[in-house]
Amino acid sequence: MENKIVEKSSPLSSGNIAVQVDDLTVAYNYKPVLWDIDLEIPEGVLMAIVGPNGAGKSTLIKAILGILKPIAGSVSIYGKPYDEQRKLVAYVPQKGSVDWDFPTTALDVVMMGTYGSLGWIKRPGQKEKKAALEALEKVGMLPFKGRQISQLSGGQQQRIFLARALVQDASIYFMDEPFQGVDATTEVAIINILKDLRKAGKTVIVVHHDLQTVPEYFDWVTFLNVKKIATGPVKDIFNDDNLTKTYGINYKVSIQE
Amino acid sequence: MNSAQIEIQLIASLVAIACAIPGTFLVLRKMAMISDAISHSILPGLVIGFFITQDLNSPLLILLAALTGIITVVLVERIQKTGLVKEDTAIGLVFPALFSIGVILIAKNANDIHLDVDAVLLGELAFAPFDRLIIAGADIGPKSLWVIGTILAITIGLLIAFFKELKISTFDAGLAASLGFSPALIHYGLMTMASITTVGAFDAVGAILVVALMIAPAASAYLLTTDLKKMLGLAIAFGVFSAISGYWLAHWLDASIAGSITTMLGILFLIIYLFAPNKGLIAVMYREKQQRTEVSLLTFLLHLKNHSEERERHVNHLQEHINWQKVRAKTVLDLALKNNMILINNKIVSLTQKGDEFTSKAIDYIITNEDAQIEDMKDDFFLFRG
Repeated sequence: MENKIVEKSSPLSSGNIAVQVDDLTVAYNYKPVLWDIDLEIPEGVLMAIVGPNGAGKSTLIKAILGILKPIAGSVSIYGKPYDEQRKLVAYVPQKGSVDWDFPTTALDVVMMGTYGSLGWIKRPGQKEKKAALEALEKVGMLPFKGRQISQLSGGQQQRIFLARALVQDASIYFMDEPFQGVDATTEVAIINILKDLRKAGKTVIVVHHDLQTVPEYFDWVTFLNVKKIATGPVKDIFNDDNLTKTYGINYKVSIQE
Repeated sequence: MNSAQIEIQLIASLVAIACAIPGTFLVLRKMAMISDAISHSILPGLVIGFFITQDLNSPLLILLAALTGIITVVLVERIQKTGLVKEDTAIGLVFPALFSIGVILIAKNANDIHLDVDAVLLGELAFAPFDRLIIAGADIGPKSLWVIGTILAITIGLLIAFFKELKISTFDAGLAASLGFSPALIHYGLMTMASITTVGAFDAVGAILVVALMIAPAASAYLLTTDLKKMLGLAIAFGVFSAISGYWLAHWLDASIAGSITTMLGILFLIIYLFAPNKGLIAVMYREKQQRTEVSLLTFLLHLKNHSEERERHVNHLQEHINWQKVRAKTVLDLALKNNMILINNKIVSLTQKGDEFTSKAIDYIITNEDAQIEDMKDDFFLFRG
């Protein structure tokens, strides 16, 4: 692969904290799945959240977005509670979390990204449709706009989800395993879009499984396993020591040149 | 048709529309059984309301019954949340318990009034025109027509106002929550509407038909369309069609109207289940058969591409070497010929240019799994439609 190694331009030029998590604890049936998480995510990073299955990666995102209620702790987005900052945030759930047989088209799913700025009752109009078409164009899915979503391949469905987040024109993007079950072409297409977002000064937070690609794709990383193990720039903290602490076994990653 | 007949059909049609709307969302949320639970467990609410008001169409009765509907939903969720039993078990635990409370209440206290379990289960649509609403001495129509008409108007109003919210929270509750549309609020709103509709429809058509009118039209529509608005429209159309045709079936058979409407719903669903163009049983079987043939075709074309020697490309070779039966071999040859992919000269088969290109593309796709290149092939071949 002749993909360029991530440009190491400092993401901290502005020095703002995009997402701040304090003492966050989330439990299912009184069993903690996230334990006392403190996390600061600087503005403008492209960050991977890594950790073994059941480490609470998706839970962390859902708790930040208010989809799950934590039993303790708080979250702020640019210094304010999430409820006040919704419009700054876009979310790409796991592809498997929805019913792809739902009677709707690709364009319609992307339009759902505009619902947040519309608020209750108001309906999407021409402006929203235009934005959705532009987002479809960006992910290369414009020719499929009228297709029923079950008629799309896994990679295409993931691109539709990405387009739905793009249409929100947010400052912070949370993505839950966007590379799961997609082919190599789609993976490259998605990562290029994520890098473009970062270039535009956005903050992108991705639950990620493939440790091999972390140094190539991301500039920031958080190790998570119920507790936070480490967080920081990939070049400083993505090492065997933290991997072993997170995954419990003696973990070695051969990082490509 | 006399005016009573028209009124019965009108009531049945309005009930059908009022049921099809929440029913569509219940089907999409895979919550069809909850409507069954609601329709039974509202009985105690109905009975208590009836004791208080002595009027089956009183708004208080509808509110109390709707409240028991909500209690059902909450109880089912609570039991399910313990993780000890699954949702269907929780439903099976809750509604018989509440329903039986209603049955006992009727048996103990209401023996002398016209509220009995038969009427609750099957309704008395035929008698609906006799119960008139009289305001200031003027007869303005059957009471149940007004009750269901009001409920339908509210349902339509809410549907138009919250269509977008219903859609997003049904499709992707996580996204809905992150955008600030409370999925819980919409969930309970829908459940309240389903409960109120059930109560309102129940007096006219009974508990069993309410369930049928909520689920069957929506399930039929689901098989025919990939557009939510069209699904709603079709569900409404199927409901009204069954209501009217069911009425005349009952008229002709001299049988229960509710039972005949439900029968029509069943027949309608069966027909659509068999003959729906894409999701129907026959279409699916046809598609699978075509896919098998197309795999054979591809195997055959690949064989031709890989072998230049004439021995390997002889027509009879298909049977001898590839080990296909005569019929299969003929089907494959015909399909390839029809698509101009092969030429047969002196029983020697060779690929045309089109056949050659097609084979390369198809093999390429199967190896790389890259979708974009085969878009044009999808129209002609089922194999590539996933």
